[in-house]
Amino acid sequence: MKTGIVNKIIDSTLIDGPGSRLAVFLQGCNLSCRYCHNPETQRLCDHCGRCVPACPADALSLRDGRVVWDEVRCVRCDSCLAVCPHYSSPKTRIMTVAEVFARIAAVQDFLDGITVSGGECTLQHDFLLALLRRVKAETALTTFIDTNGLIPPAVLAELSAVTDGFMFDLKALDPDLHRRLTGGDNALILRNLATVSARGTLYEVRTVVVPGYTDDPAEIRRIAELVGDLNRYTRYKLIPFRPQGVRGELAAAPPMERERFAELVAAARGALGGRLVEGR
Amino acid sequence: MDNVLAIIKDTSLDYPQKRAALASAAENSLPYVPLSDRARGYLDRGVIHDLNEGHAPYRPRYILPDYAKLLRQGSAYLNLEPSRDLYEAINALLIAYRNVPSITGYPVYLGQIDDLLEPFVETVSEAELNKLLRLFLINIDRTLPDAFVHMNIGPRDTRIGRLVLALERELKKAVPNLSLKYSATTPDDFARLAVACALDTSKPYFVNHDVMVGVLGERYGIASCYNTLPLGGGSFTLPRLNLKEAAKLAKDADDFLGRVLPDVVDALCEIIAARARFIVEEARFFESSFLAREGLISPDRFTAMAGFFGLYEGVQILTGGLRMGHDAAANELADRIMARAHDLVKQHDCAYCRGTDGKITVHAQSGIDSDVDVTAGVRIRIGDEPGLFEQIALASRLQRYFDSGVSDIYIFESTARDNIDGVLKIVKGAMKRGMRVMALNTSDSELIRITGYLVKRSDVERYRRGEQLREGTVKLGADSIVNNRTLERRVRRITEGQES
Repeated sequence: MKTGIVNKIIDSTLIDGPGSRLAVFLQGCNLSCRYCHNPETQRLCDHCGRCVPACPADALSLRDGRVVWDEVRCVRCDSCLAVCPHYSSPKTRIMTVAEVFARIAAVQDFLDGITVSGGECTLQHDFLLALLRRVKAETALTTFIDTNGLIPPAVLAELSAVTDGFMFDLKALDPDLHRRLTGGDNALILRNLATVSARGTLYEVRTVVVPGYTDDPAEIRRIAELVGDLNRYTRYKLIPFRPQGVRGELAAAPPMERERFAELVAAARGALGGRLVEGR
Repeated sequence: MDNVLAIIKDTSLDYPQKRAALASAAENSLPYVPLSDRARGYLDRGVIHDLNEGHAPYRPRYILPDYAKLLRQGSAYLNLEPSRDLYEAINALLIAYRNVPSITGYPVYLGQIDDLLEPFVETVSEAELNKLLRLFLINIDRTLPDAFVHMNIGPRDTRIGRLVLALERELKKAVPNLSLKYSATTPDDFARLAVACALDTSKPYFVNHDVMVGVLGERYGIASCYNTLPLGGGSFTLPRLNLKEAAKLAKDADDFLGRVLPDVVDALCEIIAARARFIVEEARFFESSFLAREGLISPDRFTAMAGFFGLYEGVQILTGGLRMGHDAAANELADRIMARAHDLVKQHDCAYCRGTDGKITVHAQSGIDSDVDVTAGVRIRIGDEPGLFEQIALASRLQRYFDSGVSDIYIFESTARDNIDGVLKIVKGAMKRGMRVMALNTSDSELIRITGYLVKRSDVERYRRGEQLREGTVKLGADSIVNNRTLERRVRRITEGQES
C-alpha cells in the first residue's frame, strides 16, 4: 500500500490550474528558494520536538520519540511552523493513495480536476504516480502537476503518461541567478520544460518576481521569449513577491512595488501578448 | 385610528408607500379570518408567523400571469391588441405589470422574458433591440421599485437572455430580481455569461430546471424572493413555522417529531386553508380580476405555501448544541425534521390548492427584517458556514423537501471573477447534487443579497441618513443587515479547505 507525506489538501481552489480543482500539497522539496512562501513544506519532520512547547492549544505532543499532531485541538495559528528549525511542519500526515483518492472522489462533482503541488511533489513519485493513475482510471477529472521542474527524466516520462497538464515554477533563466535564488542548477529544469512542451502538456510557466533577484526586465523578457519559442499555447504568469510566510533574508523585504511590477509585465507582454497572465 | 394618522403624518414614506400602509391599516381594522383557538395560540406565541399578510386577504400573495397569452390575444380590459412587434410587446407588458396584484402591491413576476420577447427580435434592428431592452429594464426599476419584482430567463440560450445579462451587468440595479432556469442542456457559453453577471450583481439565481420540471412541470416560474410556482397561477398565502420556537415546546427530538411538529403543522395548514378560502369565497378574487376573466390566470393553477424557517436553531436546541454543517448527527436530524414536515404538510388537503393536486406546497422562508437570532429557511447560520462543498452537499440534501422555493447563498472572493469556468463547475456540481436554487455573489459587490432580494450598499447608506427612497425593500434590507448579520456571510476564498 503506497503512502505519501501530505502537507495539506485544499478541497476547492480557483487558482491552481484551469477551472475548479482540489489541490494536494506533498511534503518535501529539492530546492530551497530564498523567497519560498511555504517554507514549512521543504523538509521532512525529524521529530526534534521543538514545536511541542510552542503550541498554545496543546495540540502537539511527543510520543515514543515522534511528534504527534492533534488535528481537533489545533487552532491553526502556525506557531509550530515559526519555531521549526528544519523548514518542516508537525502537521503533515501520512496518507494512503486510497485515503487521498476517497477525499477526491467525495467532491468530484464540483471539480474539473486535481492539482498536486508541494514542496516538490515529484519527489514522492511512486505515491504520485499511483494517485494519478487511480484518478485517471476512476474519474473524469483532469490531473495537473505543479512542479519546479527538477525531475529525473525517467520519472518525468512515467508521470507524463497520467498527467494532463504541468505548471512549471521557473525561478530564473540565468543559471547563476537560479543558483543564487534556489541553491540549485536549472539545466535539467530547462530540458524538462522542453520535453513537456513538446508533449503538449505545458499548461503554464510562472515566475515569482523577487526584488533584487528577478526584477530585471531583461531576465523576465528572456523567459517570456523562451516560453514563446517553446510552443504556441503555454501561458506565462508573473507573480509579484510578497513577504508573507517567507523566512530568512527576504522575510523583511518589502512587497514588490506595483509600478516596477507593471514594467515587468509590460516587458513580458511585449514578447508573449495575450499569453501573459498577471498574477496577484 | 391613531395608527392611520401616524401613517398619514410619516414623512419617511412616499405616496405609494403611504397608500399601501393605509390599505393595510384598513384591512387590519377587520377581525382576523376565523381560526381555532389552537391556531390563534401558535400565532400569538410566534410559533407560527403570518408575515403580516393582513387580517382579511383580498388577493393572492403571489400571481404569475401567463403573459405569453396576453401578447398573443391582447386584453379587452386593458384595451390592448395582440402584439405585432417588439415595441408593442414591451408596451403591453409594461401596462400589464401595473395591473397585477400581489402582497406588496407590485407584480412579483415579470414573466419568462426570453420566451416572451424572442419571437419579436426580428421586428426591430439590432440597435433598436438594445435600446428597447435597456429602456424596458430601466422602466421596470423606476416604476416598480421593489426588489421582489422577479424576471426569468433560460434554460435556452437566446438573444434576449444574453442581452438581459449584459444590461443587468452594466445597470447594476436591485430591480428586477432575476433567475436563470439552468438545465444540463443550457450551453456553457451562455451559462458563463450568467456566472459572470452573478459574480458582479448577485443576479441571476441558478434554478435547477431539470429538477423543477419534475416537481412542477414545464409551466412554472420563479417569483418574488425565489418562489417556484405554477405559471398562470400563483400562491394565495405564506404563513411560516418557526422551527426554533417549535423546538422549545418539545422534550426531545422524538417528542418534537412525534407530537409537537404534527400539531403545529396541523395549525399551520388550518391557517393556510382559512386564508385561501377567504380570498376565493369572501373576497371573491377570481370573480373580480380581469386576469382570471381573460384566462391569464386560473384558479386551477393556484396553490398555497407552508413556510419553514429556523431549522438551524431548532436542530441546535433539540441536540443540545450540535451545529448543522459541522456535526453529522445535526445534519441527520435536520434531514429527518424536514422529511417529516414535508410529509405532514402533504397529508393535508387544501381545496383551493388545485394547482398542486389539492396539496399545500413547502417553502423555505428566507426570514424578514425583524427576525433576530433565527436563521432563514434551512440555511446554516450566517458566520457558521462549513467548507464550500460540505455546505452545498447539505443544502442540496435539505432542498429536496421544498417544492415552492428554497435557496442558498455563496459569496466568493472578487478574484473568483478570473475563473468563471471554475465557478460554473461548482454550480453544475450543486445542480447535479440536487440543489434547487443557488445564489452567487462576491464580497465586494455593490448589490447585496439580503434573504432572497437585493439592495444596493449605497441605498442602505442613504436610508441610514434618513433619505426617502423609492424602494421599500431598502428599509427591509437595511434592518435585516443589522438583525441578521447579512454582511458576515462566509466568503469563499479562491483557495479554501481544511488542512488534512
